[in-house]
Amino acid sequence: MASTQGTLGTTSTGSITISVSVANRAQITGLSDVTFTNIDPATAASAAQNNCVWSNTATKGYSITATGSGTSGAFTLANGPLTVPYSVQWSQTSGQSTGTALTAGTALTGLATTAANPTCSTSPSTTSSLVVTISAPSLQSMVSATTYTGSLTLLVTPQ
Amino acid sequence: MLSARLAILLALGLASPCVTMPAAAQGVQISNLSDMGFGLVTDIGSDQVQAQSVCAYSGLLGGRYIVTALGSGAGGAFTLSNGSATLPYEVQWSPSAGQTSGTNLVAGRPLPGQTMLLSCPVLQATNASLIVILRGIALSAARSGSYTGTLTVILSAN
Repeated sequence: MASTQGTLGTTSTGSITISVSVANRAQITGLSDVTFTNIDPATAASAAQNNCVWSNTATKGYSITATGSGTSGAFTLANGPLTVPYSVQWSQTSGQSTGTALTAGTALTGLATTAANPTCSTSPSTTSSLVVTISAPSLQSMVSATTYTGSLTLLVTPQ
Repeated sequence: MLSARLAILLALGLASPCVTMPAAAQGVQISNLSDMGFGLVTDIGSDQVQAQSVCAYSGLLGGRYIVTALGSGAGGAFTLSNGSATLPYEVQWSPSAGQTSGTNLVAGRPLPGQTMLLSCPVLQATNASLIVILRGIALSAARSGSYTGTLTVILSAN
C-alpha cells in the first residue's frame, strides 16, 4: 500500500507503509581458552565448556565449522616442529561432555539453538557444548614438560 | 506575487492561500507523507533511523494542532509484522522539518501543543518531521525476514 495524504478538515489522516528486511545472522559467544596442565598420558584428556550460539532464522538453525591452526586447518597443537593432534566435538545442548565429532573445515549442519538473544544475556545463559580431547596415544607421543599450543576457530552460520 | 501583508499572515499560519484552502481556514491537514523502506538491515545490533519531512498545516490561531499516530499492530501498536512475528518500532514527531529526532509518540495517545512554525505547502513544502526508529535490541530479537506495517498519522484541531 502506498502512502496516503490527509485532506483538510477538523481532523486530517494520512498513512505510510513501513518495511524492513532483517538479514540472517548468527553469533557465538562464551568461549573460553582450554588448558591441559601436567596431564597423565595414560588416559585421554578432555575438556568441555558451555557456550552460547544464537541464530535469528525462523528455525533458529545454524551450522558450525571448526578450523585448527595446523596445516590446512588441522586440529593440532605445536611446539616448533613438534605437533600433536586433538579432536573436537560439538553438542547443540549445553552441559554435555560428548558430542558429534567435527572434521576440520567441514560444516556440521542441522543444528538449532534455544538462545533468546545474541549473547544469551537472558535465559538460557548457554546453549551448546564444545569438547576438546587429546587421546592417550597422542599424549604419549608428546615430549614431557613441553608446552604445545594452537588455536581453534569456530564459524557459526545461520541456516 | 504575494503582498507583504499576506505573506506575513501566511508565514504565521494566520491565513491560507485561497487556491488550496479556500473555506477551511480553521482546518488541519497532513500531507507530503512518503513510505519508509529500511531495506535489508545487516547491522542488526544498531538502531536504524529514518526521518521524513512532512507538511502539517493548521489554520487555527497560532497554527496549533494535535498529532496522534497509530500503528497497524494489535490495539494500534507500533509494530511491523512478517505474518507470524512482530517487530516493534518507535515514532517521534518534530514541528520542524529536517529533524532526525523529536518527541516520542505513544500509539493512540494525542501529542498536544504542536505549533506550525511556518505554513505549508505554499510557503514551503514541509514544516514538520516524522521519525521512525527500529531499535537494535528489537532487530536482534527478531527473526530474519521481511516485515511490513502501516503507520497512520492524524492531525486534529487543538
